[in-house]
Amino acid sequence: MEYSIEFNDIVKRYRLGQSVTSIRDMVKNVGRRAEPEYHYAVNGVDFQLKRGESLGIIGPNGAGKTTTLKLLSGVTKPTSGVIKVNGRFSALIELGAGFHPDLTGRENVYLNGTILGMSRAEITERFDDILDFAGIGQFIDTPVKRYSSGMYARLGFSIAAHVDPDVLLVDEVLAVGDFAFRAKCYKRMDDLRAKGTSLIFVTHDMDAVRRVCDQGMVMYGGEAIFRGTSAEAVVAYSDVVRKAAKKASQQKDLSTVENGLAQRVMTFAADIQNVSMLNSEGELVTTHEPGDEATIVVEFDVNQDIKSPVFAFTIRKPDGTLVYDATTQWLNIETPSYKAGEAGRVEYKVNLNLIEGSYDIGVDMASHDLGSYIDRIERAMGFAIVNGSGAKGIADLQPKFNFNKAEPADKVNG
Amino acid sequence: MTTYSSNKTQLGQLMAHKDLLISWTSRIVKARYQQSVLGGLWAVVQPLALALIFTAVFTLVIRMDTGEIPYIVFSYTALVPWLLFEQSISSSVLSLVANMGLVSKIYFPREVLPIAEVGARLVDFVIAFVVLIGFMVFYGLPVFTLSWIYLPIILITQLCLVLGIGFIGSALNVFFRDVSHVIVLILKIWMYATPIIYPVTLVQSQLQNFGLERFYWLYFLNPMSAIIESYRNVILHNEGLNEFFWIAAIISVTVLMFGYWLFKRLEFRFADVV
Repeated sequence: MEYSIEFNDIVKRYRLGQSVTSIRDMVKNVGRRAEPEYHYAVNGVDFQLKRGESLGIIGPNGAGKTTTLKLLSGVTKPTSGVIKVNGRFSALIELGAGFHPDLTGRENVYLNGTILGMSRAEITERFDDILDFAGIGQFIDTPVKRYSSGMYARLGFSIAAHVDPDVLLVDEVLAVGDFAFRAKCYKRMDDLRAKGTSLIFVTHDMDAVRRVCDQGMVMYGGEAIFRGTSAEAVVAYSDVVRKAAKKASQQKDLSTVENGLAQRVMTFAADIQNVSMLNSEGELVTTHEPGDEATIVVEFDVNQDIKSPVFAFTIRKPDGTLVYDATTQWLNIETPSYKAGEAGRVEYKVNLNLIEGSYDIGVDMASHDLGSYIDRIERAMGFAIVNGSGAKGIADLQPKFNFNKAEPADKVNG
Repeated sequence: MTTYSSNKTQLGQLMAHKDLLISWTSRIVKARYQQSVLGGLWAVVQPLALALIFTAVFTLVIRMDTGEIPYIVFSYTALVPWLLFEQSISSSVLSLVANMGLVSKIYFPREVLPIAEVGARLVDFVIAFVVLIGFMVFYGLPVFTLSWIYLPIILITQLCLVLGIGFIGSALNVFFRDVSHVIVLILKIWMYATPIIYPVTLVQSQLQNFGLERFYWLYFLNPMSAIIESYRNVILHNEGLNEFFWIAAIISVTVLMFGYWLFKRLEFRFADVV
C-alpha cells in the first residue's frame, strides 16, 4: 500500500530552560547536575494518508498542530519515529514567506515561488494564472510594502496555490482574507485534491475543516485524541473544549472566579449536575433535523434556599457566535423558589429551526435580582443539526416557495 | 531510527533549489541598492576610499616602498578581494539568524542563505574590479597579460575559504550569538596579518633583521596572505602561482569541506532554536 504521507509514531520533545548557558551560569552551577526537563510537543502521533485524501487537524492552541506541520515539511526533525512524504510538497505555513517589502509584487512572486519549490521556468509559465487568481491587477509592479494585508494574503496564497504539489500542507493562513477569497481558496484545494494531491489542513475554522477535508484528527496536549471523519472530529473537538472549560471551572471556591468565563461572584447556592437533551419522543439524543422539537433538561442540587432564581440558556456555534440567548427574566416567566436539600429540574422546550452544523448549549442560574450567578456552565453540551436543506446562515426559516406568473399591469386595473 | 526519506544527496537537494539561490541572491542585491542614493557605486566607493586613506598615510606620513607600482594601485588591488572576503563572511555569518522567521517555517536547504550572501558580494567584487582595470590603464600599467588566466583559480580558492568560514560561522552563530562579534573582531585583526597595506617584502626584510628568515613560511599559514599576494603577482607583475598559493588552496578546500559538513550536521536543529 503506497501511502502519500506517513507519520509513524512520532515524538518531538523540546528541552525546557535555557538552550545556551552563559559562563556566569556555568560557574554558578558547578557541581550541580540538574535533570533536564522536557516538553513533549508531539507525543506518539501516528497517521498515514493515501493519495488524494485530506486530513484536517484541529485542536486548541498549543496542541502540537503547527509542530506536526513543521515535522512533515522537514523544518525540524522528530525525536523518534519515521516520517515519509512521497512526492513534491508545498507547505503554506506563512503567506508571503520571504517577501521583501522593497521589491515589487512581480519580483516577490519569483522569490516566494522558488522558496515554495517551483523553478523559475514554472513560475514564468504560470505567472498569468497566478496574477489572475490573486486579482491585484496593475499593483503587481509596485513594491509590496504598499499592499494592504488583504492583497498581501491574496498574492501569497495565489503563489502557493499554483505550486501544484503532490502533498499540500496548510496552516491557519486563511484567517486574513474575506469570505469570497476563502471560498476561492477552498475551491482551489478541491481542484488539487481531485488531481490526486494529498492535503493536510490545520485550522480553527470548523466550517472550513468540514468543507475541505474528508478526514479529521483532534490534537490535544501533543496527542491525537480522535481520528475519524471531519464532521465527527469537529464534534469531538467541542467535547474537548467543553471538558477543559469544566475542569477550569471545577477549580472553584466560593469567591471570585477568574477564569474569564465568569467574573462576577458565583454563590453556588445550587450546583448544576446534569444537562441533557431530549427529542420530541423523550429520547436522549444529540442529533436533530431542522425544525425538530427538542427539550433541554437541566438538573441541579440546591444547597441553600433560593428565591425565584433566573434561569437562562444560550446556544452558540463552536466559534462562539451567539445563536440564541434567553433568560426567564427577559421572557417574563415566573420561576419557583427552592429550599436547601431539594433537587430541581428545568426543561426548556424549543423548536430547533437551525441550519445544519454543530452547536453548543450553555446554561446558567442567577439570583432573582441578577446580583450574582448561582452556577453556570458555558458549554454544557453540544448537539448537531443534520440533513439541512442546503440553506446557509444560522436560522432555518423553513421557506416554502410558490411560483406564479405575474399579472400584466393593465389587467390589474381592468 | 529517525529517517527523513529523500532520495537526493545533500548536494542534489541544493542543486534542486538552484532557482531559489538565484532568486535569493538577486533579492539581496536589489534590496541593498533599492534604498540607497549611491546604489551600485558603493561597490567602488568602499575600496577606493580605503585605498585613498592608506595612500595618504603611507606616502606622506610613513614611506612604504612598493617598487614600481604606485601605492594606490598596490593597495587597491589587495583591498578589492579583501573586502569581498571580509564583507561576505560578515553577512553570511549573520544570514541564518537574520532570516530566522523563514528558517523556522519553510523547508529549503539552509546553505542557500550564506551562499547567496557571498554571491551578492561577488557582484560588488566585479564592479570594483572593473574600476581596478581603469586604474591600471590610467597609470599606464599593462592589462590582460597572459597571467590573468590564473585569476579564476585564485578567485575560486578564495570563495572556498569564504564559504567554509561562512558555513561554520553562520551555523555556530545560531546557537551562540557572540560568534558574529568574535568573527568581526578577528577579521579586523586579520587584515593586518595579510599583506594588504604593506608588501610581503617588508615581512621578509623584518625577519632577516632578526635572523628568523626560516619562519617565513609561517606567515603563509594564513591562506589569505598567499591569495592576496597571488592576486597582485598575477595582475600587476605578470607572474604565476607559487607554492605558497597551492598550500593556501589546500587549506581553503579543507575549510570548505569541513564547514559544509558541520553546517549540514547542525542544520536540523536551527529551527528549534529561536
